[in-house]
Amino acid sequence: MDRKDKQAETTGSDAASSDAPSTTDLSRRDFLEGTGAALVVAGATPTFASADDGTARGNRPVQQVAPVPTTAITLTVNGTRRTIQAQDRWTLNELLRDQLQLIGSKIGCNRGECGACTVLLDGEPVYSCSTLAVWADGRSVVTVEGLERNGEVSPLQQAFMDYNAPQCGFCTPGQLMAATALLERNSSPTDGEVREALVGNLCRCSNYNSIVEAVLAAAQTSGGAR
Amino acid sequence: MSPPTSRTQQAQVGPMDTVGRDTRRIDAYERVTGRATYTRDLTFPGMLYARVLRSPHPHARIRSIDTSRAEALPGVRAVITHETHQVVYGSGSIAGGRQYSDEAKDITVHKRYMFDNPVRHVGQPVAAVAAVDRYVAEEALELIDIDWEELPFVVDVEEALEPGAPRIWPEGNLGLDIRNEPLPMGGVSGDPEAGFRAADRVFTDRYTTAFVQDAQLEPRSAIAYWESDDKLVLHTPTQGISNCRHDNAKDLGLEDHQVQVICKYMGGGFGDKNGSYYFDLIAATLAKETNAPVLVELTRKDDWLGTHGRWHTVQDLEVGVTNDGTVTAIRLNAHSGMGPYLRRSGGLSGIDAYACQDVDRTIYPVHTNRMVSGNFRGPSEPQGYFPIQSMMDGIAYELGMDPVDFALKNMLRPTDDIRFTNYMLDECIERGRDLFDWSSRWRPQPGSDPGPIKRGAGMSFMMFRAGVGPSSAILRVDSQGRYTLFVGVTDIGPGAKTTMAMLAAEELGVALERVEVVWGDTDRCPYSVGESGSRTTMMTGFAVVEAARDLKGQMADRGIPSGDDVLIASATPTPGTEGQRRMCFGAHFVEVEADTQLGHVRVTKYVAVHESGRILNPLPARDQIRGAAIQGIGQALHEDLLYDPRNGHPLNAGYYGARHVTHMDVPEIEVTFIQTDDGYGPYGAKTVGEAGIILGPSAVANAIYNAIGVRMKELPITRQKILEALA
Repeated sequence: MDRKDKQAETTGSDAASSDAPSTTDLSRRDFLEGTGAALVVAGATPTFASADDGTARGNRPVQQVAPVPTTAITLTVNGTRRTIQAQDRWTLNELLRDQLQLIGSKIGCNRGECGACTVLLDGEPVYSCSTLAVWADGRSVVTVEGLERNGEVSPLQQAFMDYNAPQCGFCTPGQLMAATALLERNSSPTDGEVREALVGNLCRCSNYNSIVEAVLAAAQTSGGAR
Repeated sequence: MSPPTSRTQQAQVGPMDTVGRDTRRIDAYERVTGRATYTRDLTFPGMLYARVLRSPHPHARIRSIDTSRAEALPGVRAVITHETHQVVYGSGSIAGGRQYSDEAKDITVHKRYMFDNPVRHVGQPVAAVAAVDRYVAEEALELIDIDWEELPFVVDVEEALEPGAPRIWPEGNLGLDIRNEPLPMGGVSGDPEAGFRAADRVFTDRYTTAFVQDAQLEPRSAIAYWESDDKLVLHTPTQGISNCRHDNAKDLGLEDHQVQVICKYMGGGFGDKNGSYYFDLIAATLAKETNAPVLVELTRKDDWLGTHGRWHTVQDLEVGVTNDGTVTAIRLNAHSGMGPYLRRSGGLSGIDAYACQDVDRTIYPVHTNRMVSGNFRGPSEPQGYFPIQSMMDGIAYELGMDPVDFALKNMLRPTDDIRFTNYMLDECIERGRDLFDWSSRWRPQPGSDPGPIKRGAGMSFMMFRAGVGPSSAILRVDSQGRYTLFVGVTDIGPGAKTTMAMLAAEELGVALERVEVVWGDTDRCPYSVGESGSRTTMMTGFAVVEAARDLKGQMADRGIPSGDDVLIASATPTPGTEGQRRMCFGAHFVEVEADTQLGHVRVTKYVAVHESGRILNPLPARDQIRGAAIQGIGQALHEDLLYDPRNGHPLNAGYYGARHVTHMDVPEIEVTFIQTDDGYGPYGAKTVGEAGIILGPSAVANAIYNAIGVRMKELPITRQKILEALA
């Protein structure tokens, strides 16, 4: 890498940032005070997660990021009630993944095409990439992490394991959530009903046959999702 | 796995203690509970978020680039461009499309940089920003000011070869080989001219195939941080951690041991990720600049336009045949669209599955200002097989022959010169014909159903390399009798680490549960060939068996270790096949329903018969074929990437635009394995992963012809094309 020139150029910047080693700490405090934010979970502020300690060699001094509008929301996530100062721009998926570390919901396209981010909102499958976090205020969210009960996987998860439904596994959480919603409302779906319910969940490994077989098997063993 | 005693050894095989039995993946639980951690699921203290600015022009020179406004944005920590960092992205494109080659990197005049100037396709990286969050990083991209000089562009392969076409490289638009010469691939074998003279009839036709994005569901990303000034840690989705490490080390001027590549889970591979990618270099560079962990995230659109897909082709075929249905000569003139960089070869397979040895093949890789082409599962196969197997299918009808009989008459068979470790193509075709009930589904008169919905049947056949080769494994046993297997696999979906554990358990004679697998980390695992070329099972698997044998020997000599002692066996076998071809074989039989009023095609039956040696884990192996066959259907009927010739912009990037198949579009793929043990590979295992995608387009297209009586010669076979053909 040819970094020498760049380093020379940025010497001034480095000096500036080391002159102000506590900039980020101040920023965080200012921000939290300014917005009255309730700190959600430990370490859950990636907006300011840069943890600048003044040793950075970045070619810019660290400056305060402009505050963004937030709204206090209360929602139930996998059975736990949470109050969160949500940035208005956050999608539900960003809230779940970035703030609550519920990484099971994947981002495949972030534009409502693939279904990898599917979660249940009041029991209905939604694309969490296309749902704003604030829309979940007062509602109940279930993610793939919420399917286990007392350390036991759900019949659907069991069937997914037994029938080799995941190949790469990236679409699996979304497929599971869409199928969970289906079995909640229709405990003995037909092959066609399963396909229709999961049509919004792409699998590029194209393991569609086994996914449908797993859902049908789960319906047979349990008569329901959970 | 005794040495082969006969080149025709074809023992029918059954399950062993572990191998050959349906075995749940050892990571199935992680995959169904959201606990499997893919690259961008990881976070590190102080991690920065990076975004990549991409070219909005198909061909343009950057007169000047001003990053001052971006750098002034609060929260921005670094901005890098072609002016600040000139890193040759060596594995991304080098003459000849070689897997990383230091020699080629030095020789080539077509260097590809992490950030290039000029840019040569829409979506090419021009700058990257690291910031405290992804919102700031995205906003900063919009504050980078570029003075562009737009250059003439060309997005059509044939237009790119016309005199006066815009030049993407000073040398012209033909891909250069390792010596910087614009020579074609292929060549002449036998005496094609004599073959054509011997023919009673000669058929010529033109076929085209479309670009198909690999489109793995996990958009690519990379996290880099520097553990020290000379040790880089890189989490990145790769099909081969060993090659990924080597490529990145070379491009960054480091030794292999100075780079640690980690990939525990990868959301799909499908080709050409057994190496580095430029976003690895961007992450490493930004991490160095900022002294912080940096996550580079590609958006779906970034990924679609900024990675690669199957090369699209234009192919002119000429086939000579005698009246009794013997092919006497084949000529192929083909152009493969590679985008502006020769990431991979652009080669085409398929003709080599025929017995005719009087063949003339000329295949030119061609540069255009479309996005870069590269390997997709069976890199040169489906788009190679579709034209030749369509031609042969059509010739069979012209001669009044059943296409299955024509296939059996003309397919490559063992000869004195061409020897196979075993040969199972007859069995695959005949078994498929029976299982599919060909005689009742195939219409001797194409298009003879009354309609408007017409049914028809088609088939195709293939053979695909199942070569053996070097890879490594380390196996350890402790005083508790626990075995730890160290293998450099990443498990992109086929279940590689389960397969590796099964092989160790089988050879050790212990239960699978006693074998723990350590994988996906170059600082912990020995070299692995990587999960590309369908090689992991055969090559790394063979090393696992060798290591287990070694360990068994040590234990026989010294007993189970005591206390904190361990016994360790390491194996890097370099098996060969004594000049024999080691191939897997397959035949696909497809029935379609074509709606002649709407143009819609539905696959109603799909029978896939494969010989892939001994099947180690039947359920995932079956699903490899099923998934690949469905991807083949997608290539046949749906997927492409269209470009607007007026502005050089892609029109339908993304899953929706490329019309990817959904749950509603797929038939049940009926998979049958004919199991054998040819005495090579681990317990006779052969290629599976890529084998299933090769025949989809040709078998579907042949079935469509049988249904509607019109030959469809352009992929994908869309509704519109069918309606136009029937008009």
